[in-house]
Amino acid sequence: MNGHSKHSLTRGIALAAGAGLLLSVWAFPVLWALLTSFKSERDVLAYPPVIFFKPTLAHYREVLFGASSILPNLWSSVVVATSATLLTMLLALPAGYVIARLRYPGKRASGFYVLATQMLPPVGLVIPYYLALQKVGALDTYVGMVLIYLTFSLPFAIWLMVSYFEDIPYEMEEAALLDRAGRLRALWHVILPQARGGIAVTTVFVFLNAWNEFLFAVVLGGNKVRPVTVAMFNFISVEQTQWAKLAAGAMVAMAPVILIGLLAQRHIVKGLTVGAVKGGGRR
Amino acid sequence: MNTSHRGGVSLQGAVKRHGALTVLHGVDLDIHPGEFFVLLGPSGSGKTTTLRVLAGLESISAGRVLLDGEDVTHKEPGERDVAMVFQSYALYPHMTVAQNIGFPLKMVGQDPEAVARAVADAAAKVSIGHLLDRRPGQLSGGQQQRVALARAIVREPRLFLLDEPLSNLDARLRLETRVELKKLQRSLGVTAIYVTHDQEEAMTLADRIAVFMDGRIVQVGTPQGIFGRPSHASVAGFIGTPPMNLLEAAWSGHAVEVGSAGRVDVGAAAPAQRAVTLGVRPGDLKITDSGLAAEVELVEELGDSRIAILHVGEQRVKLKTDNPIDLREGQVVHLGFAAAAAHLFDRSSGERLN
Repeated sequence: MNGHSKHSLTRGIALAAGAGLLLSVWAFPVLWALLTSFKSERDVLAYPPVIFFKPTLAHYREVLFGASSILPNLWSSVVVATSATLLTMLLALPAGYVIARLRYPGKRASGFYVLATQMLPPVGLVIPYYLALQKVGALDTYVGMVLIYLTFSLPFAIWLMVSYFEDIPYEMEEAALLDRAGRLRALWHVILPQARGGIAVTTVFVFLNAWNEFLFAVVLGGNKVRPVTVAMFNFISVEQTQWAKLAAGAMVAMAPVILIGLLAQRHIVKGLTVGAVKGGGRR
Repeated sequence: MNTSHRGGVSLQGAVKRHGALTVLHGVDLDIHPGEFFVLLGPSGSGKTTTLRVLAGLESISAGRVLLDGEDVTHKEPGERDVAMVFQSYALYPHMTVAQNIGFPLKMVGQDPEAVARAVADAAAKVSIGHLLDRRPGQLSGGQQQRVALARAIVREPRLFLLDEPLSNLDARLRLETRVELKKLQRSLGVTAIYVTHDQEEAMTLADRIAVFMDGRIVQVGTPQGIFGRPSHASVAGFIGTPPMNLLEAAWSGHAVEVGSAGRVDVGAAAPAQRAVTLGVRPGDLKITDSGLAAEVELVEELGDSRIAILHVGEQRVKLKTDNPIDLREGQVVHLGFAAAAAHLFDRSSGERLN
């Protein structure tokens, strides 16, 4: 028994060390950017890099309230990402449910079609999207931008939701149908509550994708619609890259995402492990 | 609540096809109000499909479904006033026991107080009144099963459909629940249709049984009727523990000849010599001085009874007796049976002949 617990302790330490190593690989760039955002321009470019320095909030003041404030861009991002996420989920939930559950002619074809739209490299679509939006006068508008975001977030969300819906036993909604709920109320009262982990995961991923999107934003946006990713890009210019401002901007842009992640964490962990245990529908 | 005037079921020529595969080949059924009716058969025989057709969860390719004389063939499950207990129970994991039981009432807009009363009442009937605040995940299998029952009875449906509801319980609990289920059905007076592949369960629960084979009903009758006079060799070979011995034999005169093992009287006279399948229940076989020659393979001791496994020529038979027997492996004995215990079936069609 003693030997056993000793063994498991060693194992625990090894696991923690391994996890720490992996975590630091992920965390290093973020920490580097965090440190950079507090450095003066001189310290940023110092070689060898300085670890200890006199921190300054100047860059935060500048990116938040200065001439190159990114606050309007943050607002742009909030509007685009939130609208795209809400619309995506509103459409993806019923669509995913139908693909997962109902039998209809052309089901396989439509399922594949949804996936096929994801097989194109986005850069190949920028020009056609640009021309299309230009034609309808939707360049540099929220409507146009959200519409384009839907083209990549919707298939992704539908496919994620299909797998979550498929994990729920058929008998759940059959029971609900016999209990006189009807399709829609069965979906609302029985299916959606059981898929809430999956819904949370999908929502967060869709939001993250929209929030961090750059390529479409830089080409199809403009002065009115300029998400924060594009604004940060402006800190990089031909003459000079303002690393500290870029880092401060990145930290500010990261904050809401981290907040959402923390709020949804419980659901995300649950949602990610769905299907790990068979019969998860009857926990 | 006496509902025995409701719950008559009539299935007329029900055909179900999945693409090229035909699952039900024209099933006819008439179930009387208040009856405990069991659909019995091996897996894939169409019994569960038939239950799902009655529930409205499966459509039929041809035929009609009538409930209390009303054609419900094209009605949705929720419009049929039937309740179902699933094999997996299908409890809603995110709701409490009380919410689970009350769900069918909530869906028809009953006010919360009436729902609470009905839930307490239904829960009391299956002795789970103390579990109402728990969630299904916190219950044992037996308790979950009771919640599923309560959810079905709470709405006083005209028809109670049960799809192998005991198969997920351990053996002892299964026996106890079987008794309670029967008592519950009696006290409610509701029509129950019960699917199982366990013939013992069918025999103990049913007022009448329909035996399914390959998408057809081969026999409908009382447990005694089906056990005593199986209409088909396949039914004979399915019912009983152990099931009936079936031997290839030739029928002529008043006797059958089983290979070179011997000739035995079966009472009935053959119209002409014909190839038959001779059926004898293990309990009807006796060790006699003359009869069919058989070689002992093994004796299984069951405490209150014993089963001898013997060979008649190439064919294996089982003999069951309550009396002590002294048989050794390899010993050659003779088997006999009363003429009335012989069941004769046509060799090719399997139809009963005597």
